[in-house]
Amino acid sequence: MVSKDSVQPPSSTPSLAIEKEEDMVALKKQRMNKIEALQAAGFTPFAYRWNKTHSALQLQTTYEYLSPGEQDTRVEISFAGRVKSKRTFGKLIFLTLEDDTGNIQLYVEQQVMARDSFRCIKSLVDIGDIIGVQGWIKRTEKGELSIVAKDWQMLSKSLLPLPDKFHGITDVAKRYRLRHVDMIVHPSVRHILRKRASIVSAIRAFLERKQFVEVETPALHRIAGGADATPFVTYHEALDVKLTLRIATELFLKRCIVGGFERVYEIGRVFRNEGISTRHNPEFTSLELYEAYKDYEDMMLLTEQLIAWVAQQVCGTTEIDYMEEKIHLGAPFRRITMNELVKETLQVDILSYDEVTSAKSALEIQCKASENVKDWDSIDSLGKLLASCFEHYCEKLLVQPTFVLDYPIEISPLAKRHRKDPRLTERFELYIAGRELANAFSELNDPIEQRERLIRQLEESEHGDKELDEEFLVALEQGMPPTGGMGMGIDRLVMLLTNSSSIRQVIAFPLLKPE
Amino acid sequence: MQSSFSSSTEDKDSSATSTAWNGVDMTEVADTEKKPLSKNAQKRLEKAQRKAEKAQNKESQATPSSKKNQDEEELDPTQYLKLRTKLIEEARERGLDPYPHKFQTTRSIPSYVEKYQSLQAGDHLTDVVESLAGRIISKRSASSKLYFYDLRADGAKVQIMADARHANSLEDFSFIHNLLRRGDIVGVKGYPGKSKKGELSIFPTHVQLLSPCLRMLPKFALKDPETRFRQRYLDLIMNAEVTRETFTKRAKIIQFVRQFLGDNGFLEVETPMMNTIAGGATAKPFVTFHNELDMKMYMRVAPELYLKMLVVGGLDRVYEIGKNFRNEGIDMTHNPEFTSCEFYAAYWDYQDLMNFTEQMLSGLVKELTGGYVIEYHPEGKESSSEPIKIDFTPPFRRLSMLDALEEHLQETLPRPLDGEEAHKRLEEICTERNVACPEPRTTARMLDKLFGEYIEPQCIHPTFVCDHPAIMSPLAKYHRKTAGLTERFELFVNGKELVNAYTELNNPTVQRQRFLESAKDKAGGDEEAMVHDEDFCVALEYGLPPTAGWGMGLDRLTMLLTDNNNIKEVLLFPAMKPRTDS
Repeated sequence: MVSKDSVQPPSSTPSLAIEKEEDMVALKKQRMNKIEALQAAGFTPFAYRWNKTHSALQLQTTYEYLSPGEQDTRVEISFAGRVKSKRTFGKLIFLTLEDDTGNIQLYVEQQVMARDSFRCIKSLVDIGDIIGVQGWIKRTEKGELSIVAKDWQMLSKSLLPLPDKFHGITDVAKRYRLRHVDMIVHPSVRHILRKRASIVSAIRAFLERKQFVEVETPALHRIAGGADATPFVTYHEALDVKLTLRIATELFLKRCIVGGFERVYEIGRVFRNEGISTRHNPEFTSLELYEAYKDYEDMMLLTEQLIAWVAQQVCGTTEIDYMEEKIHLGAPFRRITMNELVKETLQVDILSYDEVTSAKSALEIQCKASENVKDWDSIDSLGKLLASCFEHYCEKLLVQPTFVLDYPIEISPLAKRHRKDPRLTERFELYIAGRELANAFSELNDPIEQRERLIRQLEESEHGDKELDEEFLVALEQGMPPTGGMGMGIDRLVMLLTNSSSIRQVIAFPLLKPE
Repeated sequence: MQSSFSSSTEDKDSSATSTAWNGVDMTEVADTEKKPLSKNAQKRLEKAQRKAEKAQNKESQATPSSKKNQDEEELDPTQYLKLRTKLIEEARERGLDPYPHKFQTTRSIPSYVEKYQSLQAGDHLTDVVESLAGRIISKRSASSKLYFYDLRADGAKVQIMADARHANSLEDFSFIHNLLRRGDIVGVKGYPGKSKKGELSIFPTHVQLLSPCLRMLPKFALKDPETRFRQRYLDLIMNAEVTRETFTKRAKIIQFVRQFLGDNGFLEVETPMMNTIAGGATAKPFVTFHNELDMKMYMRVAPELYLKMLVVGGLDRVYEIGKNFRNEGIDMTHNPEFTSCEFYAAYWDYQDLMNFTEQMLSGLVKELTGGYVIEYHPEGKESSSEPIKIDFTPPFRRLSMLDALEEHLQETLPRPLDGEEAHKRLEEICTERNVACPEPRTTARMLDKLFGEYIEPQCIHPTFVCDHPAIMSPLAKYHRKTAGLTERFELFVNGKELVNAYTELNNPTVQRQRFLESAKDKAGGDEEAMVHDEDFCVALEYGLPPTAGWGMGLDRLTMLLTDNNNIKEVLLFPAMKPRTDS
């Protein structure tokens, strides 16, 4: 923030080239000397506590009424924050202090302060230091709300300089590696994390109101299940067993439903041993919820209500901007079956064919599908053909919230067979901005069919040890009520509601490739 | 739909052609509820009601399930599973869908109980239609035309009194009631009322199987801990009151902690559970491997260092509630994954934290129990011993760790504590007093053992044990008054550590030294000594404000507040040793 009180800072800190190793060493040495100087002057360079009476935001709002030149000396202000800028004019110093909520100017005048104190703040405080001040409030002639400092304390002396605030950290990878510095320099990073907390909190409030019980199920699983993904493998020494980190919370939450909880949810970390991209971090946060006696129709209602409510709570509106698009999150969302959608896009009604080769030829004529669709030759069923075409041609077109319904049974081993078409399941995925955000089913609760489907999945899977989760099947044999279930990626929801293009922006410390 | 409440005879006739057990139309329930009954229907109802009342006199004579059912319960589990699977398959062939997609309920059983609990014995609200679903926990029959069931869901219970005369066809009635067994999930539609004996019931016109229980439910109470923990759903079914209560209380406790922190301006964050190095607390980590990045990774043992980095970044009050992982054995108080709450507050110190802890915990106990004193069975609820009383009335007792220990030992330990002389004296004390301290016998570990032996057991009521020696606390700030000590406390309740907190060490130079000392212990064989974390030291060099940090084990807190002495009781799916029998 450039102060209105200064024309050109005569003695500003030199621009910091953080990359140069020798400079850094010299600078750190300088700062260490200042620590000694502070100690010699009776200061504690790393203090124990500070009593803060106001946040920057509180000051800005409480004293909004002060007009230029006006002050209020009756209230003793005690404030603390990080020094973001410092400008010295002989007997007058201006500092900008920043805290969690915003900025406030510090007005330091020699005649108001003890001589030693003034000398130390002038010579021993650097940008990046955290200091505490006491004084009163005043709006300067130029209109800047300021704390007039009577006394100050060093709270934490910084040994490393902040990167040049005008150029920031240009290397994106470096920003994520030095996330704390990124946050100091770019308040927007903090803003996203704050919004993330509000989003998760709003989801919890919504579900509590609907009488869902929050539960915690294990993160260490003996057999990875509930999704088709490569798990992280670890080893428990005392028990001498191999364990995997969960790839989904699904199978344990269903056991809670078997046990008689009718509405449960878990918000928790899930791990997948996959590459890193703008949409993928090896650990991410998922919401999964299950409700007895409901089906996927009910889950659609719940999902659209939830998203609209969270958007309203957190953004104050259901009309949001995401990248170049305006997205309407108000319910109801569009509902369309996968087959209809492919038909609409490619003019081929895949499910109207009796077998896969004739459907393939129709697609070939229509859109040269063999050249576009992944693993074309190995597609051996109508269901897989439908899913592949959807993935390639339709996903990216789904900008506005769309429930894509009725997924083929081959790719949905935990979803219940469709009550009207045995080739399909009662499953939907919600797409927004071309990305999958939620996945839900009428849950398969027939243990005999579940066993067959899991066996088939294991045969086709490229992941894991191909071990059947007998304990889960035994739980189903005990009887699971008809149940609707829904899973949602919290990180992706946060991306959407904070207008972030990469998952890294919404994770406090994303995993990075080693340097 | 087999409702005798259908608004016209046409409806009834057409519905009679469909099977009694299939396909509930989702929209129909709402429709029939609103329409007034036709005269015919009304008459039929009254007649049925009279008969039902007669039948109810048989309620008390009903036998606990038919002869056939009883015989089945004598089967071994495998035979039962086979038989039941076969019966269900046969029913499927006859056109029954044993796993229908949807059953529309009109209300939950708890809300049904709440709404109709005040009915008088013998009251029948024949003009009301309700649909309920749940699990059958008992089945009794008075005759082939009259069945009683206890239906339970969501922690509440209601009786089903199924009378053939309410059903549309006797054939349908017999079919479904012959098929149903204890443990099945069913949907029922009918009218509310109370039996002559005053039992709140639903008098169904329609009963539908929603999901059969293919395995026999335990015949009697389920007590065996192995089964209860391994098959928690059985425990939840069989011991609904107690087990369910534990986990709903656990949810409430965590909700309270979140609310309390939120109200005090703390921001909930999520930090990595997997790291390229293991830091933050002294414990053995789980190791895993990231395929694509081709590198080893460690599961976190605590979120501490990341949370402090966020405070460096300018988030002044943060907390995280989440799982941590320790690669250690399983016992009454340890599970390899456990849930903790850690928070950090800029500009606070450990004195502030003690006050805050008192407010939080006393407030929580008050919210849950209405008072400040809880009863707890250290030997377990089932033990015959008297419960102890634990008093959470603030302020909690505060004592200095070393003072307490020296007072007990009746001697002053040599200073400095990290010197040779102190180490030697502690070894002597351990040997003299026969206090076991496995190798490596570092000063820190010996102090810890002695303290655990003599002082911890005295801390029944909440007690802050303060000012630990620096050698035991590599991340805590040196004490502002006494050299060699830190500004740290642990809160002990019932002789066990519940909270660990300190004024955070924010001086990077001292932090580096501490890591170096810790590394020496590690080299000396202490596997639990902390690893040097250079990224964290660099973060401190950007300036961590004076900060106080706090961690609490939520599993342990739940144990205390649900009167459980085994951590497995408060984890839905605790880690278990692999089965040896298979």
